[in-house]
Amino acid sequence: MEKTKKRGIIGVIIGFLVLLLFLPFSPSDTSSQLSFVLLIVAIEALIIELSILAPVLAPIWKKTVGRLRFLNHPFVRFVAKKAAFYLIVTFIALSFIFLIPRLMPGNPIDYMFGTTATGVDVQEAKRRLEAFYGFSKPLLEQYVNFWGQLLRGDLGQSFVVMRGRAVSTIIMDRLPFTLVLVVPVLIISFFLGNWIGARAGYLKSKRSDIVYFAAVFANRMPSFWLVMVLAFLFAGVLGILPAYGWYDPGLIPGWNFMFFLNVLQHYFLPFIALLVVWTGAWSSGMRSMIIYETNSGYMSYGQQLGFRKKKLMSYANRNAILPQFTGLNMIFNSLIGETLIIEAVLGWPGIGLLSFDSITSRDYPVILGAFLVIMVVVILGNFLIDILYGIIDPRIRTGRGG
Amino acid sequence: MIGLCVFMAILMFGIIGPMVTRNPLEKDPVGRGYLPPSWEYPLGTNIFGEDLFAQLCTGTRNSMIVGGITGIVGTLIAVIAGSIGPYKGGLADGISNFVTNVIIVFPTLPLLIVLAAVLQQRSLLLVALLIGVTNWPWAARSIRSQVLSLKEREYVDMARMSGMSDRKVAIVEILPNMLAYTLMVFVIMFGIGVVAEAGISMLGVGPNPGTNVTLGTMLYWARMLPHVGAAWWLTWWWFIPPGVMVAAVTTSIFVMHSGMDEVFNPKLRKV
Repeated sequence: MEKTKKRGIIGVIIGFLVLLLFLPFSPSDTSSQLSFVLLIVAIEALIIELSILAPVLAPIWKKTVGRLRFLNHPFVRFVAKKAAFYLIVTFIALSFIFLIPRLMPGNPIDYMFGTTATGVDVQEAKRRLEAFYGFSKPLLEQYVNFWGQLLRGDLGQSFVVMRGRAVSTIIMDRLPFTLVLVVPVLIISFFLGNWIGARAGYLKSKRSDIVYFAAVFANRMPSFWLVMVLAFLFAGVLGILPAYGWYDPGLIPGWNFMFFLNVLQHYFLPFIALLVVWTGAWSSGMRSMIIYETNSGYMSYGQQLGFRKKKLMSYANRNAILPQFTGLNMIFNSLIGETLIIEAVLGWPGIGLLSFDSITSRDYPVILGAFLVIMVVVILGNFLIDILYGIIDPRIRTGRGG
Repeated sequence: MIGLCVFMAILMFGIIGPMVTRNPLEKDPVGRGYLPPSWEYPLGTNIFGEDLFAQLCTGTRNSMIVGGITGIVGTLIAVIAGSIGPYKGGLADGISNFVTNVIIVFPTLPLLIVLAAVLQQRSLLLVALLIGVTNWPWAARSIRSQVLSLKEREYVDMARMSGMSDRKVAIVEILPNMLAYTLMVFVIMFGIGVVAEAGISMLGVGPNPGTNVTLGTMLYWARMLPHVGAAWWLTWWWFIPPGVMVAAVTTSIFVMHSGMDEVFNPKLRKV
């Protein structure tokens, strides 16, 4: 009895909070006000009912869930847990996008106009824009509208960079250019870097050491600077590669071989710079893992049994590469960041160049849109990497150990 | 040791350099524009005829300032977030862990770019603060694991058994052992600050490029200024030195770090 009472009180409190949430949206005309009140009362009642009936409903819920066998599979649970975590992260990230322009000193509208524009027309334009974006409405209502727009895939319109076009289409045009740099670099550098690190850790020969140290020291260079140096070498001194844009201005974009070759030439510089810098990021971790593994019991046992070096190395590799997968998340995040900068340096038309253009021309919706899509890409990428790790390592998947 | 020497050398360069060269913010040019390196101007001049060596000196100093502030802010947050969990346990542990996990998958550089883009007046301090606030999670994580491993050591158990309070154990037994580790975190954070500053400056959202000279803004101008009669990649004396400086900072830090790593992980020493 005592418990039921407590639940009832909690239900009333939650219901009250929901009521507060709905308050800003109460319609102004009297005819629809009645139905609005009825709706809220119905929701209230439902919440209170549920909170009181929770102990009765819980076993029924458990039974239904229990009958759906696949839900109890550890892998499904693992994915669900991860998905829930990343949903929360997405929610926080997107709320950030809502909050940043509103918490910053000054108004986004003022920001777009800059400090130089003055006069009566500007005041009028500012007023209209403010009405259009509804910056004077209550914050909660703006927030709900924001989510509504997001769910409809509506990110507003560009002002300057591509006047009048929807931000979402601009971004969808640009996103492939960024991904085509990031994904191959991530995958190739992972295998190449780990291979170099493993050889250095296991062979300890002069050649493997030189390669290893070269890779690790290359990793210390900022890639956006390396790309400038490479541009100087290949475009300035040798004059064999273009260092700006993604195709020569004389060509007409199309699906033919010549155009493809030309794009490939432009692709080479950013790709090589990123690859050179990020290969070394894997090597040092891999090397110390391999050294750790070579000192373990099964390796010396194998050695005494007279296994070939190659065989032993593959055993060690299998164990050493596992922790490397946890590094994928962080390296993916930094890699995306550096890719954005390199794009701006070389004029590769991905999200990075887009944000650079929109920042210099104060195109607010595009800045936020580009930021949003990068956030979503990074979060999605992290989610996939986590799932991949779960597939590879059964300990993580089943939630035991690890 | 070599790493420390190089690092100190760069630090000294950043301190002494600006004293002996003229302030690059005094806009009047010293000579003709686009002079390649010569005895008079060791690193040549830029499009306005400004002495690039003087810019490099001041830029190094300012980048060091950014790195230092980033290091202090980032390390402070990381130490608090990383040690409060193991110390308090329970809910505090859960919350600090959750926040760290959320921010670790958060794309920090885009966040930094957007934050810096909407703020129009950006001083060195502000940029350094932003970098520090967005880049601490990895450090919090490693500090946390270090604290957890220290907590299990026998001498900590001994101290606890002899009736020391939790707080006293934390301060007397655990903190001194964390100092070297925290110093390492600070130094790495320093490097992150220098690189991140250069990176966001390339996008034009670092410290205001008109009124600040850093290694990043030097790179920015070398890339962005309209080059009369030549492509930007031909003025190598403009953009190579600042990048070499950044790379030297990160490399010396890396060498220092691996030297300290051998102290912490004796297994690596057998190589």
